[in-house]
Amino acid sequence: MSSRTSLRLAALCMLLLPPACAYFGLTGKEALTHFPLLGPSTNPAQGKVHLKQCDLLKLSRKQKRLCRREPGLAETLRDAIRLGIMECQYQFRNERWNCSLEGRTSLLKRGFKETAFLYAASSAALTHSLARACSAGRMERCTCDDSPDLENRKAWQWGVCGDNLKYSTKFLKNFLGQKKIGKDLRAKVDIHNTNVGIKAVKNGLKTTCKCHGVSGSCAVRTCWKQLSPFHETGKLLKLRYDDAIKVFSATNDAVGHSELVGPQKHGHSSKNPTSPRPTDLVYVEDSPSFCRPSKYSLGTAGRTCSREANCDSMCCGRGYNTQSQMVTFSCHCQVQWCCYVECQQCMQEEVVYSCKQ
Amino acid sequence: MAGAIIENMSTKKLCIVGGALLAFQVVAFLVGGLIAPSPTSAVPYVSIKCIDVRKNHHKTKWLMPWGPNQCEKIKDFDEAVSRQIEANDIVFAVHIPLPPNEMSPWFQFMLFILQLDVAFKMHNVIQDNAEITLDVSLAYRDDMSSEWKEMAHAIETRKLKCAFHSPKTPESEGRYYDCDLLPFMEIGSVAHKFYLINIRLPVNERKKINLGIGEIKDIRLVGIHQNGGFTKVWFAMKTFLTPSILIIMIWYWRRIKMMTRAPVLLEKVIFALGISMTFINIPVEWFSIGFDWTWMLLFGDIRQGIFYAMLLSFWIIFCGEHMMDQNERNRLSGYWKQVGPIAVGSFCLFIFDMCERGVQLKNPFYSIWTTDVGTELAMAFIIVAGICLCLYFLFLCFMVFQVFRNISGKQSSLPAMSKARRLHYEGLIFRFKFLMLITLACAAMTVIFFIVSQVTEGHWKWGDLTIQANSAFFTGIYGMWNLYVFALMFLYAPSHKNYGEDQSNGDLGVNSGEELQLTTTITHVDGPTEVYKLARKEAQE
Repeated sequence: MSSRTSLRLAALCMLLLPPACAYFGLTGKEALTHFPLLGPSTNPAQGKVHLKQCDLLKLSRKQKRLCRREPGLAETLRDAIRLGIMECQYQFRNERWNCSLEGRTSLLKRGFKETAFLYAASSAALTHSLARACSAGRMERCTCDDSPDLENRKAWQWGVCGDNLKYSTKFLKNFLGQKKIGKDLRAKVDIHNTNVGIKAVKNGLKTTCKCHGVSGSCAVRTCWKQLSPFHETGKLLKLRYDDAIKVFSATNDAVGHSELVGPQKHGHSSKNPTSPRPTDLVYVEDSPSFCRPSKYSLGTAGRTCSREANCDSMCCGRGYNTQSQMVTFSCHCQVQWCCYVECQQCMQEEVVYSCKQ
Repeated sequence: MAGAIIENMSTKKLCIVGGALLAFQVVAFLVGGLIAPSPTSAVPYVSIKCIDVRKNHHKTKWLMPWGPNQCEKIKDFDEAVSRQIEANDIVFAVHIPLPPNEMSPWFQFMLFILQLDVAFKMHNVIQDNAEITLDVSLAYRDDMSSEWKEMAHAIETRKLKCAFHSPKTPESEGRYYDCDLLPFMEIGSVAHKFYLINIRLPVNERKKINLGIGEIKDIRLVGIHQNGGFTKVWFAMKTFLTPSILIIMIWYWRRIKMMTRAPVLLEKVIFALGISMTFINIPVEWFSIGFDWTWMLLFGDIRQGIFYAMLLSFWIIFCGEHMMDQNERNRLSGYWKQVGPIAVGSFCLFIFDMCERGVQLKNPFYSIWTTDVGTELAMAFIIVAGICLCLYFLFLCFMVFQVFRNISGKQSSLPAMSKARRLHYEGLIFRFKFLMLITLACAAMTVIFFIVSQVTEGHWKWGDLTIQANSAFFTGIYGMWNLYVFALMFLYAPSHKNYGEDQSNGDLGVNSGEELQLTTTITHVDGPTEVYKLARKEAQE
């Protein structure tokens, strides 16, 4: 993956930015900066390493406070960024905009479809990572949160603690500061898209059951919800991106405040414009073409494409170079489940197509 | 069995008894639905990949996923490759429970399910019939600072049943296989506060161990335990029900002993049903709070099994004794054809349970389903038990049909009979129809609630009120069968009014006045008062 260096990146968000700046992950308004490498053997329990990690992440004051309170959070946030970037780049590998991190700052200032995806993917990755961190025992306030210590213990023993996902959704909404909803259209769109991301993770939950009654019969059955692999969430969000809805602001006379409104549906005679569904990604501006280098992307020149599938669209009609080259690849491998791969090197001629300038 | 209380009871009293039982039934449902939490909890765990840095693996050392003295971790296996760590040095560690909590004896049991995250790689696919070999060990301790003590250690194999839904092309590399859940561990008591599981996946090229199992990314466990709140409600219920059934049982047996004749088979069977119900009810589980009795789970299965076998036998014998043909049964051996399948079926299930939960007492990681022979054996037991059950129900249905046929036959010839015989048959018919009715109602309730609890999700919400449907199902159904047995012993106990005490009762005026009221329940054919008076005359003669 091209983003090997971008794996440890953090968002920078300064307090001077508008209210929606309190976002994090792929949607931090500042450029993702290289995150200082912390050795893999960092031990969060030893002293105050996590406090240092929280300081290194560029967070708002509130987020920093939350981060300091929860020892495992800093690491989880880094996981979330990494997960989000990897998935975004995987989903957009064949598109003109390939989710490259260059130009991301400018992109976030606008309201394109791509911005919508970034917000959704970011919150989905955060939700997913938080729930996972809970299961790994990395976080301490996961299921029976928000109550004094003794109460927690009682709740756990009695059996009324919620699940990890419920916790992570709640935590995330607090972390991203969604309580005070901005008045302007952009802020609303961003919050809407963030919630789409959270919903996408929830929609991907699979209910799995186990029977354990008398002699293993189904007289007693326990079910639980299971996170699906993040690839599937990414795929779902990509579909949502393809069907994203352009919205504009409208003042609802009855209620007196403005709300998001989608386009009139064809054949729908009702005069009231429909508001977008909570699962739809929404945007306010039409995207640029991303063909030429701009402040949003590096353009598609030099990108490799596949001739059958997407060369025409990716190269924006400029045509492509065909290059034949010998490629070495691993073959006849001897592998173990982990850590050991012994392969022969095989050569093959391969035709590579890349977009012209 | 002649002259049961139910026959001699007035409609009014019968209604009162029915109403009281119904009230208890509603209470049983509400206790589960409103007070108890859901019966069980499932807690997901993601294992932490630790590196076993010691050179020799002989000494057991426990690797902790978090907290003080945690192990040296790796984030993913790319890191392991770059650091040249071998597969044999990687230990998957899971601490139970998750951070601030601790386990409690109120959880009663723990069972764990293993889920593997296996990524697809072009040159490392899961081979057909792949088996994974796990070197698992389990340890416990009761406070955060003491040493871990080993509880179990085993080398287990599990079959990998994984499907890959995307096309197997380089494009899909990194996507996960969809793997079946694997049974991992089952413990019948939760006597300690903290547990630690260390799993290794040793690779041995020569013995072909753990080859072709794909690229394992993560090992996840799901831990299921009974909720403490549910256990408490359940215990409370048992503690309340035990004396109730016990008292009615003693009362019932005294009634039978007071009679001059020896108890008939049906009376004995009802008494046995009471005993098996009490056997389930006795809250021996209270001991599991203080003692580490892992066999409690197995013992619970056996107790339930005995009750089911008893209940099924009772139905058969009840039908048989109300057959109203001229065959004299009154012996258990007369029912060998029907009771035989019950015995064989329960025995099969008992053996199966011993093979599964019995062996788990020794090795908590054991599962009969993991080997081919075990699976076939288990299936054989279950199929035989299933056949026996079908056979039994065929017999039962046939007997019920016979009884109804005899009833309709008898009903047409009732007016022609002598009054005493008519009375006898009317009693039989009423008793049989009444039991049929409540049995069917109870069975239907059980089935309906079972289906509802399987279909819906565990709880319903009405505003602030949350009803735990699953808990309500358990307490409600358990309460219902208790009430069934209670009602059976109460209503089918021999009546004083008819044969026994009647003769010794001198005050005839009061007695006949009472009877006039009491006998209104059997109003099938004609004036019951006349019938009774005549009956008494005949009896006295």
